[in-house]
Amino acid sequence: MIKVENLRKVYKVGTEKVVALNNINLEIEKGEFCCIVGTSGSGKSTLLNQLAGLEKPTKGTVTVNGEVVSKMSEKELAIFRQNNLGFIFQSYNLMPTLTAVENVAFPLVFKGVDKKVRDKKARAILKEMQMGDRMNHKPTELSGGQQQRVGIARAFVGKPAVIFADEPTGNLDSKTTEQVMDMLMDISEKNNITFVMVTHDPELAKKAKRVITIVDGNIVHDSKYDNKGDKNEE
Amino acid sequence: MKISDLLKLSTDNLKRRKGRTILTVLGVIIGTCSIIMMMSIGEAINKSNEDMINNMGDLTQITVYNYSGNPDQEPITDDVIAQFQAMEDVKIATPLYQSEYLNSIVVKGGNSGRYEWSGWVGNNIVGMYREAIAEYGYELIDGRYPEKNDKEFTVLAGEYAGYEFINPKRQWPHNRVDAYPDENGVIADPFVDVTKDKLVMQATSYEEDGKTVEKNIKVVGTVKEDWNKGYETYGGFIMDMEDLIELEEEYIKANKIRVNNKGKGREYSTAVVKVTDVKKVEGVIAAIEDMGYNTSSPTNWLDDLEQQSRTIQLILGGLGSIAMLVAAISIANTMTMAIYERRKEIGIMKVLGCEVKHIRAMFLTESAGIGFFGGIVGLVICYGLSFLLNYLATYVLGGGYMVDGVMQKTYISIIPLWLAVLGVGFSTLVGVISGYIPANKAVKISALTAIKNE
Repeated sequence: MIKVENLRKVYKVGTEKVVALNNINLEIEKGEFCCIVGTSGSGKSTLLNQLAGLEKPTKGTVTVNGEVVSKMSEKELAIFRQNNLGFIFQSYNLMPTLTAVENVAFPLVFKGVDKKVRDKKARAILKEMQMGDRMNHKPTELSGGQQQRVGIARAFVGKPAVIFADEPTGNLDSKTTEQVMDMLMDISEKNNITFVMVTHDPELAKKAKRVITIVDGNIVHDSKYDNKGDKNEE
Repeated sequence: MKISDLLKLSTDNLKRRKGRTILTVLGVIIGTCSIIMMMSIGEAINKSNEDMINNMGDLTQITVYNYSGNPDQEPITDDVIAQFQAMEDVKIATPLYQSEYLNSIVVKGGNSGRYEWSGWVGNNIVGMYREAIAEYGYELIDGRYPEKNDKEFTVLAGEYAGYEFINPKRQWPHNRVDAYPDENGVIADPFVDVTKDKLVMQATSYEEDGKTVEKNIKVVGTVKEDWNKGYETYGGFIMDMEDLIELEEEYIKANKIRVNNKGKGREYSTAVVKVTDVKKVEGVIAAIEDMGYNTSSPTNWLDDLEQQSRTIQLILGGLGSIAMLVAAISIANTMTMAIYERRKEIGIMKVLGCEVKHIRAMFLTESAGIGFFGGIVGLVICYGLSFLLNYLATYVLGGGYMVDGVMQKTYISIIPLWLAVLGVGFSTLVGVISGYIPANKAVKISALTAIKNE
């Protein structure tokens, strides 16, 4: 589903060059729930941005769902995101003027989906996430956990092939974190969606079937676990 | 992305920052008002010019004069008039007969000639080619035009010619009947019914022993009052030039006047050329002036006045545009601020798959919305202002005047439909243009902005 070859990303900070990603080679299967772990500044977020096509690499290629994301024009990327990608943010990033339903349906607006159709889809998925009584609330009227559930619903509404999540529980308390994580895993599995998530919390990562650890722009561990949480391979 | 979604998104965003939106719209309102009001004042000037021209006379008519600086200039003769007549686009050419020898003409009518009408040839009595009378543009109320086989002097009378007869034996104002309604709203019958009563036309002499020559005349038709043509349509007579000349010749013979220009043929001091179309007038004037004659036509004024009022309108519109320019800068500022504040949102939209062109469209719709809304409100205010100005000018400052019991308004400001549409269209366009650079800036914001925690 996702294939990364010889990926390298170098930032120029003033006259100095900072290597964010050194030489990354990686493959993620369809339906895999995958965590990228690393400390602050390790390059994990940069890797996620590269996978999602938010930034162009210095070298190497990223292929998602059979298409080379790293070579796409901005317009092609927009269409590709509409059809293949979902995104969950740490700070929820809901549109402040829109209600919960409208926020969830927002990506479908760009696809030109009819209002009736997209609102129906959005309501269904919100109901599934126990948000049925919060449908017409604006983000400011929702708690953090509720906002993130809206954010998650928004990522899933288009039934994308891949969802990227950047510290999706970073702003939540531990109890809510637990709930949200279970929800993410549950829905991804049900819909056979490839899920790639970045976190700095190794404990949280343990829930995932695959954990990729990054240090200084290189993959240092790539472990797969079975459903019971036992380590399978390294 | 659908247009309905685009509109909703944009209006939501405008509503979100109500205070700032209202202030920016206020700028556009002032800008639109100043442009529309200035242009409307120009329109009012235009209209009053047009009214003035229309009152000056028939626009298709050219008057040709015999005098010119050149002593060798051929005088206006029947031959010359035939040349005018032969020109392209000329409907009719005829002399307007001016008599060198006839003095005051008196028409006696009514009960054994008790009532008198008096006037002069070329003034109250118009003489022209008989064939030209029908073509000249007089509107017949009843009757017919003079014909070739008429045995007596057949004439046309002005609509109110009967009221111009006076009773010479009585003192003013009891010697006449008004054509206007009295305090009871009744219009009295004139002394003479010109179409029925027997009328005698007399050429009078000022000499003590001068002889008066007279002819019976018969009114065969009445023409409608039309001041673009002249007094004859109100209270005068129109007749075949040859009849007048016959009267003149008898008068000359009776009074033994010596005539010097024998053998030279007839010369006319004034001729009138009517053109088929207003647009062709200029060409005909040029052709006549090429022949060395002086002309006058109301269209001479028309061009000058049009040019002048166009200049005034441009200057006024230009003054109004300054306020609009300030409004445009204010829109650009508002949009730049809005985009700066919404960098993160733009990033999110990009991450969610919004195409660049839709982001641009969203911001352009917002700035166009500011322009459009300001334009509409401005237009409504302009209609109010315009009404108020015209009302004040007509009723308070006393610019209005009564005609037939109806108040004629004085217009200081006129907003025709085209100006209303243009005003709102222009303010919307200003919105789009002012938003263009900020919107293109918005488009360049990276999707990464969505991820960064600022």
